[in-house]
Amino acid sequence: MNPRPSPAAATLLEVRELAFARRDEPVFGPLNFDLAGGEIGLIEGDNGSGKTTLLRILAGLLRASSGSARVDGLAPGDPAAAGMALLLGHQLGLKADLGVRENLAVAAGLYGQREGCGITDTITEVGLDGYADVPVRQLSAGQKKRAALARLRLLPARLWLLDEPFANLDRAGIALVNRLLDVHVAGHGAALVTTHGAVSFRDHATRRIALS
Amino acid sequence: MSAPSARTGYVAVLRRDLLLAWRRRGEAALPVLYALIVATLFPFALGPEGALLSRIAAGVVLVTVLLAMLLSLDGLFRPDWEDGSLEQLLLAPQPLGLLLAAKILAHWLTTALPLLLASPLLAAMLHLPTAVLPVLMAALVLATPLMSLLGALVVALTVGTRRSGMLLALMLLPLMVPVVIFAAGAVSAAQQGLPFIAPLAWLGAALVLALVLAPAACAAALRIALDA
Repeated sequence: MNPRPSPAAATLLEVRELAFARRDEPVFGPLNFDLAGGEIGLIEGDNGSGKTTLLRILAGLLRASSGSARVDGLAPGDPAAAGMALLLGHQLGLKADLGVRENLAVAAGLYGQREGCGITDTITEVGLDGYADVPVRQLSAGQKKRAALARLRLLPARLWLLDEPFANLDRAGIALVNRLLDVHVAGHGAALVTTHGAVSFRDHATRRIALS
Repeated sequence: MSAPSARTGYVAVLRRDLLLAWRRRGEAALPVLYALIVATLFPFALGPEGALLSRIAAGVVLVTVLLAMLLSLDGLFRPDWEDGSLEQLLLAPQPLGLLLAAKILAHWLTTALPLLLASPLLAAMLHLPTAVLPVLMAALVLATPLMSLLGALVVALTVGTRRSGMLLALMLLPLMVPVVIFAAGAVSAAQQGLPFIAPLAWLGAALVLALVLAPAACAAALRIALDA
């Protein structure tokens, strides 16, 4: 239970007997799994099996009914753990009236920036060149998703919690998500991903977590 | 890779909300127009006698400004909640109360400040004696941030509920009764030539208390509202 293990291959996420019940109705669990730096976990489950709920618990937005989760040795929601995990949900957290660049600047002001990562480069990397200053409301659903992916790339979080990152993306976009995941994992980050479509992604996952 | 300071986060949120308000600056005029129209209705309803109007002027301006603010309060957290940026604030490394304080400040600057600038006009329309105007303005300067802070707390509690507009009014307006009493008390004391500092001091004390407590309470309320 060392609070700050060394970055490489150390366990980044530790889930023990984690269960969640909504109004005494069990949703999932008890779950047990670990995720080390450099690993991608794929959360599999039918609609309503609690995939999103699990991610929200791990992000610290929801409290689990029982069991425990540790992100880098700290409980989710612990102020010291804030910024360690980054959640990309169905709502992308982009302000529609601001441009992509402005949205990223706000996020960087709150969470900081990954070393060697600039806002302009990140925008280019996700293929939004030329859209940096267009208000997000004028972007297509896929482009909005790309803008949200740019935030993942830009911020220094080590654990990514991605809820359906492939939704709304074309083939190039799916390749982009896979590429971002590869880069993230190569830098000893870890990611938990929920998805039901993209078969192409399955080879990427080093760990499967099944919710029943 | 260390997280940005609390100050950086505060400035980022404040800048973002002011920029958003600037992008939709037409909306900032709506509360002012609302206050203008409501204040105009009183002479029509009560008759245009100067003596009557000058007696009720301060109270009408005060209540009108607070109601105009009430209408705009729903926009404090709801858009952020709907597009997911509230979650980004909740998960940020900075203290949530501080980030919410930035949001409340931005909200006060964009809704209450235009109303404050318009209130001398409203007061003049209703024949408020010019000598009393500074006291009314002082009362408004203290009462409007109180409205923003208490309002933010109630909005935070109701952010997850649908159609929260009426609920917001029902929960917030009782809290505003003491504020109205002290603000109106100061103005009517000034109108009768009596000392008016005491009620203003009470308002100031309440404002200081709210400044310290409301953002933290707001943060706790939001965490509860979203933990569902």
